[in-house]
Amino acid sequence: MLRNQQWVLRVGFCGFGAVGKYERQVLALPKYSFKGGVHPLHDQHEGKTSTTKLPIRAYVPDSVDIPMSMSIGAPATPIVQVGDHVKMGQKIGEANGFVSLPVHASVSGEVTAIGTKVLLLGGPTTIVTIKNDFQDEWTELSPLGPVEEADPTKIVPAVQAAGICGMGGATFPAHVKLTVGEGKYCDTIILNGAECETHVTCDHRLMIEEPQRIVDGLRAVMRALDVKRGVIAVEDNKPDAIDSMKRAAAGREGVEVVTLRTKYPQGSEKQLISAVTGREVPSKKLPLDAHVIVLNVGTAKAIADAVIEGKPLIDRVTTVKGCVKDHANLRLRMGTIVADVIGECGGYTEEAGKIVMGGCMTGLCAPNDQVVVSKGSNGILVFNEEDAKGYEENPCIRCGRCVEACPIGLNPYRMKHFCDAGDLKGAEANDLMECILCGSCSYICPAKRWLTASFKSTKEAIMREARRAKK
Amino acid sequence: MSLHVSIAPHVHSKDSTATIMRDVLIALLPTTLVGVYCFGLNAALLCVLGVAAAVLSEYAYQKLTGQKVRINDLSAAVTGLLLALNLPGNAPWWMPVVGSFFAIVLVKQLFGGIGDNFMNPALTARGVLLASWPVKMTAWYLPTFCKGVDAVSTATVLGGYEASAMDMFLGFIPGTIGEVSKVAILIGFAYMLLRKVISWRIPVVMMASFALCAALFGMEQDMVTSLLSGGILFGAVFMATDYTTCPMSPVGQYIYAVGCGVIIAVIRKWGSYAEGVTYGILIMNIVTPLIDKYVKIPVYGQEKAKKEAKANA
Repeated sequence: MLRNQQWVLRVGFCGFGAVGKYERQVLALPKYSFKGGVHPLHDQHEGKTSTTKLPIRAYVPDSVDIPMSMSIGAPATPIVQVGDHVKMGQKIGEANGFVSLPVHASVSGEVTAIGTKVLLLGGPTTIVTIKNDFQDEWTELSPLGPVEEADPTKIVPAVQAAGICGMGGATFPAHVKLTVGEGKYCDTIILNGAECETHVTCDHRLMIEEPQRIVDGLRAVMRALDVKRGVIAVEDNKPDAIDSMKRAAAGREGVEVVTLRTKYPQGSEKQLISAVTGREVPSKKLPLDAHVIVLNVGTAKAIADAVIEGKPLIDRVTTVKGCVKDHANLRLRMGTIVADVIGECGGYTEEAGKIVMGGCMTGLCAPNDQVVVSKGSNGILVFNEEDAKGYEENPCIRCGRCVEACPIGLNPYRMKHFCDAGDLKGAEANDLMECILCGSCSYICPAKRWLTASFKSTKEAIMREARRAKK
Repeated sequence: MSLHVSIAPHVHSKDSTATIMRDVLIALLPTTLVGVYCFGLNAALLCVLGVAAAVLSEYAYQKLTGQKVRINDLSAAVTGLLLALNLPGNAPWWMPVVGSFFAIVLVKQLFGGIGDNFMNPALTARGVLLASWPVKMTAWYLPTFCKGVDAVSTATVLGGYEASAMDMFLGFIPGTIGEVSKVAILIGFAYMLLRKVISWRIPVVMMASFALCAALFGMEQDMVTSLLSGGILFGAVFMATDYTTCPMSPVGQYIYAVGCGVIIAVIRKWGSYAEGVTYGILIMNIVTPLIDKYVKIPVYGQEKAKKEAKANA
């Protein structure tokens, strides 16, 4: 009997469901955008203004602390000794397995120490300290030549050997993404130039200053995987970058530039795929299951460097902002200590209260200013004491803004109840594992509930639990 | 060097519970002012007492139970004002006091405080007052300036009083303090839409479904009178949209709003009350948890994953 009543309810609600679906299509999903999302710091141009016009300049430090783990996957093993002289680009760490990347010297000079350091992700990481001799002497490089002449089968191995990972912040090894498994195919490569994060402008500047390299990287990947369509997607708050990319892409077959609506998290892989292709990545699957590979524009540039010049990934562009004297877009060597970077930018203007590596929505907090720039560091934001202060969590008023903001269609307020109660099963039943931790719900919540924080810790707890059950 | 560490995001929107409640108070201002203009100083006194009693009740309850005092979030003030606006202009002074106490302590705090009550506090209190003192709660009189004399006792429009559409729109009709002026309510609605405090969904769909039902059922009044009389607009804009007691998902909100409209029309047509807004919304308040349970928002990628699983099977 009870079951029958439930069916009556379900059938009734289905009718309303059709209306809801219609509303989503008509009202909320214009071209090149996605459902949900937020506009952080919209009144301040996403906090980007101070560095959008500043050209990238290079900074080379006296010494670098190169971590053996700069990407997702197993850490590399150091293959140099203290006292060794290394050249720029020389391999100093050997990858351990397929989901792991080799590490290269980012300066030439002498290895002065091999030790450990606590970086962003909790535990201590092995680091190799190299004292810079400022000779910038490259190790022997083996380029594949111009993109149109490169051997397609050698491109992905070259990407792997160059130690390239996702440079938008996720640091997933690029060659793993570019390995198309059996029975799968890819028909579209999307270059992510959305840069939806607040404050950071490194991709923006890169698109203005090195658009040709970015297009070359895209073409190299298209050639390697025999893909006919390459899309460079840029948010409409960067018209100069769109122009620049359009000029660089002109006449390149299969390469197009699309304009995205400025909205966070437009640069999230799933949202970007939906916006550009209208496809959805199936739940718990990879973009490749929607026949798409998404790469950051910085990653594409690194791929072009690796293919055309044979150069490994040893530097990247990082935006430095906040309580430092000179805001800047700096080209930094891997392993540059943040304190040195801030010194280069004229030092702190106030006492630092918080240092965030990345943007405001997803950036990780540094425990101190001795952490280093690595492959995923797109920004260094220095907060003053006032902005850094924690805040109190207030009771949920069920306003539903988190539900509207969630780009995945989750119920953050309900998930939070289960997380607070420590009910892992309940949280999982409410689709916690689908959460992409974009932070939109926490951003929009008027009660300032710690939504994303508790989702992150509960997700980790669920994964720990699953690993334990496997054993 | 000692730095703060926290999990992202490191930036938050400027809206807080207090700014939202402040916006609701601002949105209630036009209709309050018109109410006071129409019904005189007693109406002003009722509003002040309603707010004061609500805030004091909340303060006293939270102090006595050793909770953090949260009167600064202004939610108690909103409840108190809403309750006062739901009283006739000549109600005795103790009515908003009793009502506010009931709303805050029994309906809101005993169920866990802000965000945890399952019925709209102000509306529930109004329902209780209506059941307890039916004569006093339905003693309507005309706005003082309309007839040039004090306190002419009369029926409401729904009870048979005849008024022009313009009078009903502007608020020169008998009724509760807050509900009479439709134009003032619409100004408040526009302000809340502009500030993104509420969405258009519940008020618009509720009015539309009520209008449709009114047309289908064949009301005693004509359509314009049906829509402009009684508390339906006030209820649709300020009562049914209460965050805590309405569904979260857009689809759920449609169901809720349609339900409100239908029940109000049914009560007006066949019920023994001339007005059905209070009970229509309260009934849908109680249905809200059920709606939230059954209406699932489509989760990104899950439908596709299911389809693929089916195709592979």
